Amino acid sequence: MNLPTHILLYPKHFFIVLTILLASGCQPQLPEAARSGLVYCSEGSPESFNPQLVTSGTTIDIVSQQLYDRLVDINPDNGDIIPGLASNWQVSADGTRYQFTLRDDVSFHTTRYFSPSRYFNATDVVFTFNRITDPLHPFHMEGGGVYPYFQSVDWASLVKRVQAIDERTVVFELQRPDSSFLSNLTTDFAAILSAEYGQTLMAEGKTAQIDRLPIGTGPFRFREYQKDILVRLYRNDVYWRGDTKPGQLVFDIVPNNARRMAKLFTHECDIVSYPRVAELELIAARPDVTVQESTSLNVGFWAFNTQKPPFDQLAVRQALAMAINRAAILQAVYYGQATPAYGILPPTSWAYNDGLPAPVYSPAKAKALLTEAGYPNGFTMDIWAMPVQRLYNPNALKMAELMQADLAQIGVKANIISYEWNSFRQKLGNFEHDSVLIGWAADNPDPDNFFRPLLSCAARDSGSNRANWCDPLFDDIISQALLTANQQQRRALYLTAQQYLHQQQPLVAIAHSQRFQAISSSVSGVNINPYGGISLQHATRVEP
Amino acid sequence: MSKFRLYLEENNRSPVKQLWREFKRQHSAMTGLVLFVSFFVISLLAPFFTPHDPYLQVDDLLLLPPSWNAAGLVQYPFGTDDLGRDLLSRMIKGTSYTFGFALITVAGALLMGLVLGALAGMSKGVKSSVFNHILDLALTIPSLLLAIIIVAIIGPGLLNTTWAIMLALLPQFVHGIRNAIDEELKQDYVIAYRLDGANNWHVLTRLILPNIWEKLTIMATMAISTAILDIAALGFLGFGAQAPLSEWGAMISDSLDLIYLAPSSVAIPGLLILTAVLSVNLVGDGLKTAILKRRQN
Amino acid sequence: MTRYLFRRLFLMAFVLLALSILAFSLGYLFPGDVVQNLSGLRQIDENQRQQLIGYYHLDQNILQQYMAFLSRIAQGDWGLSFASQQPLLQEIKLLLPATLELASYALLLSFIVGIPLGIVAAFKPDSLVGKSISAIAMVGYSLPIFWWGLLLIMFFSLALGWLPSAGRIGVLYEIPHSSGFMLYDILQANINYRREALYNAMLHLLLPTIVLATFPTTVMVRFVRDAMLNVWEQNYIKTARAKGLNRGQVLYRHGLRNALLPVIRQIGLQFSTLITLAMLTEVIFSWPGIGRWLIDSIYQRNYPAIQAGLLVISTMVITVNMLTEILHAFFNPLARRG
Repeated sequence: MNLPTHILLYPKHFFIVLTILLASGCQPQLPEAARSGLVYCSEGSPESFNPQLVTSGTTIDIVSQQLYDRLVDINPDNGDIIPGLASNWQVSADGTRYQFTLRDDVSFHTTRYFSPSRYFNATDVVFTFNRITDPLHPFHMEGGGVYPYFQSVDWASLVKRVQAIDERTVVFELQRPDSSFLSNLTTDFAAILSAEYGQTLMAEGKTAQIDRLPIGTGPFRFREYQKDILVRLYRNDVYWRGDTKPGQLVFDIVPNNARRMAKLFTHECDIVSYPRVAELELIAARPDVTVQESTSLNVGFWAFNTQKPPFDQLAVRQALAMAINRAAILQAVYYGQATPAYGILPPTSWAYNDGLPAPVYSPAKAKALLTEAGYPNGFTMDIWAMPVQRLYNPNALKMAELMQADLAQIGVKANIISYEWNSFRQKLGNFEHDSVLIGWAADNPDPDNFFRPLLSCAARDSGSNRANWCDPLFDDIISQALLTANQQQRRALYLTAQQYLHQQQPLVAIAHSQRFQAISSSVSGVNINPYGGISLQHATRVEP
Repeated sequence: MSKFRLYLEENNRSPVKQLWREFKRQHSAMTGLVLFVSFFVISLLAPFFTPHDPYLQVDDLLLLPPSWNAAGLVQYPFGTDDLGRDLLSRMIKGTSYTFGFALITVAGALLMGLVLGALAGMSKGVKSSVFNHILDLALTIPSLLLAIIIVAIIGPGLLNTTWAIMLALLPQFVHGIRNAIDEELKQDYVIAYRLDGANNWHVLTRLILPNIWEKLTIMATMAISTAILDIAALGFLGFGAQAPLSEWGAMISDSLDLIYLAPSSVAIPGLLILTAVLSVNLVGDGLKTAILKRRQN
Repeated sequence: MTRYLFRRLFLMAFVLLALSILAFSLGYLFPGDVVQNLSGLRQIDENQRQQLIGYYHLDQNILQQYMAFLSRIAQGDWGLSFASQQPLLQEIKLLLPATLELASYALLLSFIVGIPLGIVAAFKPDSLVGKSISAIAMVGYSLPIFWWGLLLIMFFSLALGWLPSAGRIGVLYEIPHSSGFMLYDILQANINYRREALYNAMLHLLLPTIVLATFPTTVMVRFVRDAMLNVWEQNYIKTARAKGLNRGQVLYRHGLRNALLPVIRQIGLQFSTLITLAMLTEVIFSWPGIGRWLIDSIYQRNYPAIQAGLLVISTMVITVNMLTEILHAFFNPLARRG
């Protein structure tokens, strides 16, 4: 049983093995599949192959830009909205009716499990968006019926109807004007699915397959997924934008940071997500690796479960906020590669409130506040630290250890809790935590993207509101800001919202970080989208 | 195997002295013993040895290189970790966890093993036979696997690990002690003692224990080396000591992220584990040889 | 021999029974909801729960539940994994070959390297060679293998860049899955880059095999050396020497045969050690085997997977041990007593 019997049984093979071992003096020629292929080392497994169902950046990076397209896209250089699958669009005067004209030359992927018989058309758009909102849609409940991003922006109550006027025209009717509507369509979550694939699966009775074996229109098509090992995509040779460079794209799943770097250095990976900021200098010093830096709209924060005592008390939240030494955190965790956060909105956003006071670090005041709140001897709490490295928080466990020491000074005993990433988020969604170190990276440049998905009542129900916070007053402010397209008015409202958050402290914003990507020097053409996932369509290996 | 001897007085020394004489002759064993004693003393008195508080985070001394590096400070011989904690102090403190807890674990397992082994050794019949067969099988499962199984059930943590490894070591102790007792019971002097009217308790305490302690010592040293490796392995896997405890295996896994910036923070704790295990094994091997030689004399 | 065989098989059946009872009780010992732990389903609605209670005989007495458990195991319904929501048996079938492949090469290596070194060390125990072999074996015996693996990666992968640091084969090589044994699959596969893939897979195998083989090799060296030294003391060797055979002849005709007989038993013991150490090695080298999977399952508190993994690993270890015992007894009649 434990002997490699196959070698004993096949002497011929054993001979081949031997010959190769003996003749292995020189590096053999790489096969074509390996030569044109690229390896992206990802920090985690995708949860699903349908971006509608997820919020995690890990999944978005692997799935969105590679497999799918959106109706409209964002110009990464200036944040303008540009055509995608929709070649142009008109908005009615009252801002409640959006009409899109679709391209007629786009085809869905042909794979081992599906061959499309027609081009992309309006039915696919209706199919895609009805899946989110219509409980009777045959695929609505696949994957649990939860569409976190769309729920957090209250999509279902906004969109009255999605209608196909003809093959190439589709109309969205809204209940009210919403200035963030188009921005939401550009996000990585608004990927367009194939209605024909859906029908085929229904006919075969295999509806569960739709998010496991994906069909999209993007530059790559799905080949295989080995859980926790790799995702393999092939080039979509008939991509409508043309010119997809890699013949094969492999996402090698390597959760450990050090090992991911090791793989970059040994050239087992071409592109590495989230290189550790601590090592940026080291990487930059190597001739075979380059570091790409880009601004990114994000915030790392410490959210309290505001429904759980004692975190339902404002004084306790304020005390905890004052007890932590951010300067130390910025140095030890971000290695100075981040700006301290005063509120959740980054300074690069047009709605940023620069009047917010700088956060105070004062264990003495914190202690006084705790005494005032009725906890003179402190209490015991859990800090949940996410197990993966994210842009907004490169090392949550380390941050938690620093905070643990800070909190001990005011008599609060903190336990650090961490689970594997998927169960971690699941448990967070059930609000099993006291407090959590996590954060948010924007999916589009609209400031609303920071407020509603993070702290609205709707987001609490969809589980992306980590503070478990629901305040009608706050919800009111941010809803009003959506009703107008006037940027001045919107800005004023968002300033108020930020001020209010500062008073209420449902979460403690810690830092806004830069996004880095470490890439093998032999690879060019990797585009980081500041508002979401990475695009690898144009990445190529330059032959030495 | 008696040989002709000119100086008979040597045989009149007490067994312990003879053993020590034979042990002393082996340089490697003596080196091992010196190391072992140092580790033991450090693990007992760790708080008095640490130059700094092992948990104190010094914010402006993050990732200080070791002092042999030009950028290092002489006050921090091994440098600091990424939270500004002194690595030397952490490693000294870690001795208590990795080495100290291994000793406690083995002591516990030995005690339980003695009780169960004595019970099993003194009883006979079908009960004993079944018990023995089950033990044989439990023995074939490596202690680390058993420990992982137990930790999987009772959950991670240093204390749980200690229990798990204690339980995992138990079969080999029970087995060894049982067999040793069995062997002793066959001796003529035991039968003679019984004929004199001694009960089981007397036989066990007056005759058997004094005669099997050598075997016990060897068993214990072997078990200590296993226990150190297991505690460190579980710590490395994240099932043992939890942050911020500076158990050596956990320290290696903590430092994994820093493998490029501070390779010494991975290398040194591993070297410590190696040295600790080596010292125990050297003592064990030395004891074995010494006992063999003493018997031959 | 027949009687011995019978007794052993009976014992094994008894132990497997005990093991199944342990595995069965785990489902109840783990924290959380029993129905979830048994089925592996994450979300269970009331309707489903009633069905499952019926399916697992939870409304009946414990003996019936146990019988139901046995029949499920036999039928291959091992429940789902919490993490992936896929059938456990299917996952294990994919992972087990990777571990077995690694462990068998390491076992082979430990015998090929360990036995000759042990003989050499015993042949001239006090020479420089003999002493250095013993010293190296001592150090290898004391190495924490996770650290050893890291050191090798740091040196051969990172510093020199000669060998890959993780995985079974470069991810760009797409090898169709048939047996799960990588080298065999490559040889079977209908691909035009077989040679390169094979070479690549072997590069990936090198470091993990060496790391995994380190401990068993040192155990072999020490074991063979001690066994040889022991045999050397026996009277029949002295007789042989007295007959006038030279050292080499005695070693070959009398020493080796008798000293190596107990080595057969080592196969079983080493195998269980290997499976345990394989868990650490797989974690270090991201080797997609059952050990790493089990460790991950423990992190994720994936109770159904822990239960299934323990059942498979323990059964395997016990079976292999028992088989080698029997094999040993077959060659050595003395071992059939007791």
